[in-house]
Amino acid sequence: MIWGLEDVRVTFGRRTALESVTVPVEPSGITVVVGGDGAGKSTCLRALVGLLEPRAGTVRRPAKDRTGYVPATAGLYADLTAAENLGFRARAYRLPAAERGPREAEILGRTGLAGARDRLGGQLSGGMQRKLAVGLALLHSPQLLVLDEPTTGVDPVSRAELWRLISGAAAGGTAVAVATTYVNEAARASWVVLLEAGRVLAAGSPDAILRAVPGAVGSARASARPAPRSWRRGADWRVWAPGGQLPDGVTRTEPDFEDAVVVAALAGEER
Amino acid sequence: MDVQAQARAVTMRFGSFTAVHAADLAVGPGEVVGLLGANGAGKTTLIRLLLGLLRPSSGVVALFGAAPSAATRRRVGYVPQTLGLYGDLTVAENWSFTAAAFGSARAAPPDGIEAWRGELVGDLPLGIQRRVAFAIALSHRPELLVLDEPTSGVGPLGAARLWEQIRGAADGGAGVLVTTHGMEEAQECDRLVVMAGGRVVASGTTAGIIGGATVTEVRCADWSRAFALLDAAGFGVQLHGQRVLRVPGPAAAVGDALAAGGLDAAVREVPANLEEAFVAIVSGTA
Amino acid sequence: MWAMVAKEFRQLRRDRRTVAMMIVLPVVLLVVFGYAANFSVSSIPTVVVGPGAAQAAAELRAPFRVTEVDAGAGPATARARLRDGRAIAAVVTGGSQTQVLLDGSQLFPVLTAEGALAKLPAARGTAAPRVRILYNPKLTTSWVMVPGLAGLILVFIGTLITSLGVVRERQTGTLEQLAVMPLRARDVIAGKIAPYLMVAAVDLVLIVAIGMGVFHVPFAGNVGTFALGAALFLLVTLGMGVLISTLSQNQGQAIQLAFMIMLPQVLLSGLIFPVASMAAGVRWISYILPLTYFIEISRGVMLKATPISALWQPIGLLAVLAVVVLGLAIVRFRRDLAPSARGVRSEAPAGAGVAGSRA
Repeated sequence: MIWGLEDVRVTFGRRTALESVTVPVEPSGITVVVGGDGAGKSTCLRALVGLLEPRAGTVRRPAKDRTGYVPATAGLYADLTAAENLGFRARAYRLPAAERGPREAEILGRTGLAGARDRLGGQLSGGMQRKLAVGLALLHSPQLLVLDEPTTGVDPVSRAELWRLISGAAAGGTAVAVATTYVNEAARASWVVLLEAGRVLAAGSPDAILRAVPGAVGSARASARPAPRSWRRGADWRVWAPGGQLPDGVTRTEPDFEDAVVVAALAGEER
Repeated sequence: MDVQAQARAVTMRFGSFTAVHAADLAVGPGEVVGLLGANGAGKTTLIRLLLGLLRPSSGVVALFGAAPSAATRRRVGYVPQTLGLYGDLTVAENWSFTAAAFGSARAAPPDGIEAWRGELVGDLPLGIQRRVAFAIALSHRPELLVLDEPTSGVGPLGAARLWEQIRGAADGGAGVLVTTHGMEEAQECDRLVVMAGGRVVASGTTAGIIGGATVTEVRCADWSRAFALLDAAGFGVQLHGQRVLRVPGPAAAVGDALAAGGLDAAVREVPANLEEAFVAIVSGTA
Repeated sequence: MWAMVAKEFRQLRRDRRTVAMMIVLPVVLLVVFGYAANFSVSSIPTVVVGPGAAQAAAELRAPFRVTEVDAGAGPATARARLRDGRAIAAVVTGGSQTQVLLDGSQLFPVLTAEGALAKLPAARGTAAPRVRILYNPKLTTSWVMVPGLAGLILVFIGTLITSLGVVRERQTGTLEQLAVMPLRARDVIAGKIAPYLMVAAVDLVLIVAIGMGVFHVPFAGNVGTFALGAALFLLVTLGMGVLISTLSQNQGQAIQLAFMIMLPQVLLSGLIFPVASMAAGVRWISYILPLTYFIEISRGVMLKATPISALWQPIGLLAVLAVVVLGLAIVRFRRDLAPSARGVRSEAPAGAGVAGSRA
């Protein structure tokens, strides 16, 4: 792997936040770390950008001035305008003076914020704030772009635009790492790491994770739980039989990515 | 049809600003209806109209067949996104406070959350907090449940467990209204009502809303150039997985653009997913 | 309604900091107040000079406490002792009438001294001593308070505003962002403190100007000395502000901590109650408060034209405090900005592998 975490262990006092976690991030690729609240996604990303040091394992990252980071709280100054935020960032990363103006204009254009350049950060809508935050992280053309739940709480249209920005970065050669709770976002990654309670439940490309579903998955309509390993999906129940034998009344279905993730989570629980 | 909540041609104006325009919405017993839309689309205002916290400028709002009132509000369970729990009280204490406030005689929290009764709510992980909030909202057996983004942030297994609680309430006859802007939550619902700019722009099942909408799938060896080219040409191109692009727009136009750029790519039209359909509907209206 | 009451009590019980403030604070305040609040002074350091020094010294009783007897010295020496703060009262013997000089910048000791002198029985044959109050002849309270208030306001800005400014960054997540940028910890700290330093300096000039213009407080001494004392004092209070910010997770906590640090300074720094009259059990607290030393400097320079040579002690102590507090603040702040290495170090190949292209 070029960048990323390799077999990393992170502890906070006596609590182990991450155990043997590997998160590879390749240039021109998007690695998505998906999991629920408290799974350790933010910890992974913070270890990746150097905000905390692991107790064991290796972290590979470029120098600070070649890394871009978007924390979960957006990390922009609410009482500075969009343009002023960009200006501060440009100076902090020591962009050559001549480059600053054109680069800031380019970022404002790509993020669709050219009209809001003189608006205070705190006055931008949630979606626009996130777009500005991503723009700020891309300002200095980083080799590694790390985003912590960039689309949480953002409206669907802005979410699509954010992903276009993120994809554009990957298309341009940047290595991208994203943490999210949305499973359908993980489906568009080139590499997925499913995290739960600090451990990796599944890892690989979305196709590989789908192919690796053990046993059989089926669907049933019932008023009560049809089997122990079942979960609701819309009006139906989904059932997983690790041995391949589904109970009566359950019709076999082709698992989709969301099924695969739930199965991996169930398997992880049982371990 | 006996519905729990209904809005007919409801409009809400605040001064010169129209927050909701001629909106229709109905939630019947046993069904889960999703209200999908961006912030500022009017979802919150519509909810507040249904609950009787606002009076419409025009149109009819009915809660259990009558105008919303304090009495009908007792039959509603509401869980806001912030959950409405006191982080510095235990689960049991939150439970007893709500029981006292609603006048329900329940003695102890239900089995599902009994294990955490002595824990401070603020110390619990989000998924468990959500389960506690739902259990408390369900404690007075409401006939209408209004949930604001009920499964956001909890991860796949946590979300599935929460849907068990939600579906359980619906199976028991309650009507459930879920506000969301996540596609996964939206797809769990029986029906969707899509809002943008204060109007209902689409409604129906997921499949109905997608209809026959398609996007163009592009497979190309030099995918990063293809992406840059299509992006520059103004297509809303998205990257999916490794090297696959999905582009809103007819295959012919996309193919032409790629050919003009000297790129050799395989293009074909595929059905759109809910997010793509939503963006198309909302952008078209905006 | 009772449900509401029960709930509030339960929440209050768990909020230890607020409970501490509500119960412990009044008790502490009362105890300290009781021991510190004392307008009458039991011991006034006095020098006695002139040919009749020995005899006069023998006759002096409490509250006067003779610290120096020098028959060979004259009025000039006596004034110098008062100016330098080495004594509050000076008895000058010889000449047609014994003079008693009092340091008018020490309001309550002087009032006590005046009272004691009035009760002194006239020595056989000699006339009653002539009492002169130097530096603040009319014992104007504002003259004594303004230099102290200047310090108090600087404590307010330094501690409260600075801590809030830094805690706000922590809350919005921009502090994390700073940690990831190629900025050095000392750049961030210096950059954060500098504006508050400038604003506080402007405030100080404003207060002194108003004091002089509206209340006619004199500025008799060296501006440079005053500026030096003020600068050191500001560094201490701003450092205190940064330190508080590293100990607080949110603005509410920062305010509570800042308040707990400001309150003793109001009561025990000599702003209102003279330090000399405090019981020894609480007086030691004054000696660790930076405001105590700044008040000494500001009153000395403004009212008495005390030279820097006589103020080396408070200036020196402020310098030491500044180094300690700022040092601590920087160490703690740096930990927020850059993690300490624990366990295996990370590899950071600078610019290795694929070159990053324009995003």
